[in-house]
Amino acid sequence: MADKTKKGRFNIGGWLMVIIVTILVYLLDKPLGSLPALGKLLDPMNGCWANAEPVNKDFSDGHKFEGLKGASVWFDERLVPHIHAGNEHDLYFLEGYIHAYFRLWQMDMQTRAAAGRVSEVAGQKALEFDRRQRRKGMVFGAENSLKTMEADPRTRLIMDAYTEGINAYITSLKYRELPIEYKLMGFTPEKWTNLRIALLLKYMADDLTGKVDDIALTYLRGALPKEQFELLFPQRIEGATPAIPAGTVFERPSLSIPVAPADSVAFPHFTPSDFGEPREDGKGSNNWVVSGARTVSGSPILCNDPHLGLSLPSLWFEAQLQAPGINVYGASLPGTPGVVLGFNDSLSWGFTNNYRDVKDYYLIRPVAENKNKYWFAGQQLDFTKRIEHILVKGQPELTDTVNYTVHGPVMYDDNYTDKNGLRKILSVCWMGHRATNELLAVYLANKAKNYNEFVDAIMNFQCPGQNIAYADRQGNIAIWAQGQFINQWKGQGRYVMDGSDSATLWGDLIPPHENPHVLNPQQGFVSSANQVTTDSTYPYAYNNGGFVNLRAWRINEMLGKAHKVSIDDMCKIQNDVHSYLAEHMLPGMLSYCTSIDEPFLNGLRKWDYNLSAESADATLFQLWWKYFFEGVWYPILGGHVPYSLMPLQERTMQLFLADIHPVKGFHVDGYYSSIVIKSYAQAVDSVKNIANDRGGLAQWYQVKNTSINHLAKLPAFSYDHLKVGGWGNTINAVKENHGPSWRLVVQMGKEEIEAYGLYPGGQSGNPGSKYYATFLDHWVEGKYYRLLFLPNAPQQNNERIKYSWKVN
Amino acid sequence: MRFLFSAILIALLSAVAEYFLPWWSMAVVCFIVALFINERKVFAFWSGFCGVAVCWLAVALWHDIPNEHILSSRMAILFHLPGSWLFMAASVLIGAVVGGLAALSGAMVRPKR
Repeated sequence: MADKTKKGRFNIGGWLMVIIVTILVYLLDKPLGSLPALGKLLDPMNGCWANAEPVNKDFSDGHKFEGLKGASVWFDERLVPHIHAGNEHDLYFLEGYIHAYFRLWQMDMQTRAAAGRVSEVAGQKALEFDRRQRRKGMVFGAENSLKTMEADPRTRLIMDAYTEGINAYITSLKYRELPIEYKLMGFTPEKWTNLRIALLLKYMADDLTGKVDDIALTYLRGALPKEQFELLFPQRIEGATPAIPAGTVFERPSLSIPVAPADSVAFPHFTPSDFGEPREDGKGSNNWVVSGARTVSGSPILCNDPHLGLSLPSLWFEAQLQAPGINVYGASLPGTPGVVLGFNDSLSWGFTNNYRDVKDYYLIRPVAENKNKYWFAGQQLDFTKRIEHILVKGQPELTDTVNYTVHGPVMYDDNYTDKNGLRKILSVCWMGHRATNELLAVYLANKAKNYNEFVDAIMNFQCPGQNIAYADRQGNIAIWAQGQFINQWKGQGRYVMDGSDSATLWGDLIPPHENPHVLNPQQGFVSSANQVTTDSTYPYAYNNGGFVNLRAWRINEMLGKAHKVSIDDMCKIQNDVHSYLAEHMLPGMLSYCTSIDEPFLNGLRKWDYNLSAESADATLFQLWWKYFFEGVWYPILGGHVPYSLMPLQERTMQLFLADIHPVKGFHVDGYYSSIVIKSYAQAVDSVKNIANDRGGLAQWYQVKNTSINHLAKLPAFSYDHLKVGGWGNTINAVKENHGPSWRLVVQMGKEEIEAYGLYPGGQSGNPGSKYYATFLDHWVEGKYYRLLFLPNAPQQNNERIKYSWKVN
Repeated sequence: MRFLFSAILIALLSAVAEYFLPWWSMAVVCFIVALFINERKVFAFWSGFCGVAVCWLAVALWHDIPNEHILSSRMAILFHLPGSWLFMAASVLIGAVVGGLAALSGAMVRPKR
């Protein structure tokens, strides 16, 4: 530089140019508004181009890790890793490393989401979400669980190894190797911790127990006459087919059932219109097992398809884990060690959500003259304060003080009101706040050799409650309605409770072995699809946290008729799009339309009630039903009640079929006729409108528009208008953004385990990889992959192995 | 001749620099090359522009072809561009402009002999 000024002539123009270039580089190196750092991103050497994975990439490699004995990883043609390690430490280390290798950004984001730390990387727009997560006590719950998880040497070992594996990957990364989303959003991964594992498990628990409408029900209960409220919102759907077959004999309860306090003591009344979270009807899952008595092979077949929000990268990652004493295959959850859903060399299992209500709200009475105290059992207690620091990208940090009561965190108060603006202080009591160790259940189930070991394992599965179906190679089938539940008085927690009265406090824990279950039932199959758990003979009380029954009726009907079924038959049932609702509603609806002469109607008269992807009749029926449903309920409940809190479809169907007046509660001949005719006209109008837009009758999948979106909602990394039928109330419950997140059909033969499955995504989380969404087409078409289940051995000779890693 | 020489030099040195350093190291390369190789300003600009363009284009193609345009097609959608080749052109253009201007600035501050 010195030689430039040697001649004493300072070149202003030149240096100005240098400054301009410097500024240009600076601007291109920083995100501007919603634009990512363009220079950094577009640089072919280090930017997004570096994420373009060659389609014929050879994944075979050698890896050296300190502290590991020898291990091998074999990848099959679908890029499913089959990990064989000499001990459990090495096994879970490698699982962590491989999860991170394929799915790091997703794991990072989902655990950030659980902890309410999204604004830190996404800015202001995520702040509301983050505040809600903090208010719910997500981190509080995860910290509680972490203590228990780390206190148990078994879960401590696998968590430490798993975290170590993830961090080995993170520290090896150069900028150019970061997942593309980091480059787009402009942040870098931080070190993984065991807390993140606990957070991810709480994230799942929240997703599966979050459907709480206590606040809205409290309001509705006050707004409607008692008889009408019971008519429209029954705790138990008439004719429900419980998950634990009706007639199952339950043991005598070891705890005595508490007596309910007077209604006026337990439950406050609300008048403001606060409706809580929307109820997504038809979001749920199926699992079933048919015993060998009903199959061609004589061996039991287990089927599972948990319905969850669908996204890319997928929630699940297929893997096989092998070490001495363990050989398990199935869907793992990137961010947690083990295999959550699947089978091992002895037995298989599947989950569906158990909708017993485990989240209750309490009305808190603050002490008028002291903001730091509240009333409980006639005493003034101090709030415990937890200060939440929320970092917001490009903004000052936000602090929120969350008060904790004996019940749990104060979710709503003056500083944070529900979006409908209820001006009350509400504390939330959630099973997920408690110290639970679901990871231990997963770990032990992965290794279980027989029914008893499996039951011992799942006793540790506490929250979210799951209906766990089971089949083994000895021919046993079973189902457990598993979870940690409270010995409640009847009706406890159905509505917002008075938090100042000790009678409403959560009581003793029900011993988990007293949870409803059945082993090898007479009927030769077990199934669950989010229906009510038991018949009314189960001694302990529980509340409806979102039970539905349409899929359950259909499944039980089909399995009841099943004789000599094959794996293929089971796959067909998983892809069944027959609408039980249409089958039962449509004949009645059509009977009111005899005077209408229209080609549409003739189509419906011949329709097979299948919500097939290409069916235009399905479009018409679905619209007709929607307008009919609104026509029934809007005049009665409209204005006060959001759509999501209307009575169930099941209930509406039952009232219609019996001609029961929805207000008066007794039979009124032809009450529904005018609603049917009017809603038909509305549906036809809609169908014609859509048809005009598209030039042809709209097929069901076009109207439904099933989409699988990237987690950051980037359309470029998402798929929409998938040509797939079904709806939330059919077995193949594919809605707009929800559906079967994992399909498994596994026959537990004595000689051989034959397994088929897939999930709607691909093994790689990289949108620049061929493996990003490889399974999607098969999933849409209802096809399956034969799963490669290797014997537990250090050497393999299988032609499906395409790549292998040699470790140390 | 000098133009071609400095353009090739820039392309090669940029590739090496960027392999070890952040993306903007190519601007430093352009500046230094233009500082030491005596060229008219307009030629300096084009040598930076072309040098970086060649380097970035080559590396982008090296990634894009074996990838069968999976990533570049998605990125094109992300940036509302009609095709993956346009995304590549935009990438290369941004690098080239920075390279050109950096080389120009090098030529401009170069002391007169």
